[in-house]
Amino acid sequence: MTDTLPLAEAHSLVARAQAGDVSALEHLYRAYERPVYTLARRLTKTPEDAEDVLQETFLEVCRSLGRWRGEGSLWGWVRQIAASKALMRYRREKLRATEVLDDDVAARAGDDVPLRLDLEAALQRLPERTRTVVWLHDVEGMTHEEIAELMGMTTSFSKSQLARAHQKLREWLGGEGAGR
Amino acid sequence: MNDVRHGTTEELLALRDGEGGAWAKAHVEGCAACAAELYRLEQMRAQLRALPAFAPPRDRWALIAERARRERRQRRFSGGVGLAAAAALAGLLLVAVQGTGLDPLQAETTLKTAMARSQAMEQVLRAVDPDARALDGQAAGVVAELQGRLESLDAELGNPAALANDRVRQAELWNERAGLLSALVDVHTTRVAYAGL
Repeated sequence: MTDTLPLAEAHSLVARAQAGDVSALEHLYRAYERPVYTLARRLTKTPEDAEDVLQETFLEVCRSLGRWRGEGSLWGWVRQIAASKALMRYRREKLRATEVLDDDVAARAGDDVPLRLDLEAALQRLPERTRTVVWLHDVEGMTHEEIAELMGMTTSFSKSQLARAHQKLREWLGGEGAGR
Repeated sequence: MNDVRHGTTEELLALRDGEGGAWAKAHVEGCAACAAELYRLEQMRAQLRALPAFAPPRDRWALIAERARRERRQRRFSGGVGLAAAAALAGLLLVAVQGTGLDPLQAETTLKTAMARSQAMEQVLRAVDPDARALDGQAAGVVAELQGRLESLDAELGNPAALANDRVRQAELWNERAGLLSALVDVHTTRVAYAGL
């Protein structure tokens, strides 16, 4: 998404919030709660996880407003925090899981996949990391370099996951295409 | 057309994003199948962007504002004593990995061990059920400091840009995390935070 707050307004709100103006903080929350929650829903497994990410993100925003340098968009900074929180959750869950790979889960689930899914269902069906990459790149407009940094992976990883996401979406949604 | 192969999805996606190579560009101009696939990839991106936004099911602002206020109060209250206590406790319990001379395999193993320690301590802390335990002001201050440092650690761990592929540094952070969690467990159970310092 594009930033709903003009940069000048963002600067003003951040300055007021840093000075202790709670209404300015609330204004920031209202401006970004939907995009943060939407991003969190796309990057996490459940609505409850997404709510937690929303809360953790804004608590971090409250703590760290002074770290926003004001150079890029405020949304870009908030989005970075939200994506980090979502990925942190994924990392913890993965640690708890008994080494079951996303790919294995997807492959097993693929056995009984309906012939056609709608886009929403197909997106949800993608392995978490693959879905994260396609969402951050195609919807949020992040570059492969930015995604690689965020995920602690390489740009090649990001590119291959994006390709994989589109191959899966094509497979599940139907559509012609040369064998690739 | 004479090309022996079609463009891969990755090549066509690069083309869609304005980064495609010369071969892919030339190929798509002469290959109807790849041109159609490129169009499909563009359409798919448009469809993804057109998916509706989600609205949070509950208004969380009051909760967030209250927690932020509480954190600020606790930070002010605990002051330097709390920080010293936190540092001492974390230091006592920290098994630091001073990663000198580790080969990549050792570093990977060390990282996994550190993550497992952190996970184990998190489970112990959950079992302690800290939310159900009353703390006096001093202990609450120490808890706030420890939690603050945990948040900072999590922020660092959640921003791998700074860590790149430095497994040793990651292991240090995860070990420190385990130490802080362990200190939190101690504060909630034995109150060593203020009894011993």
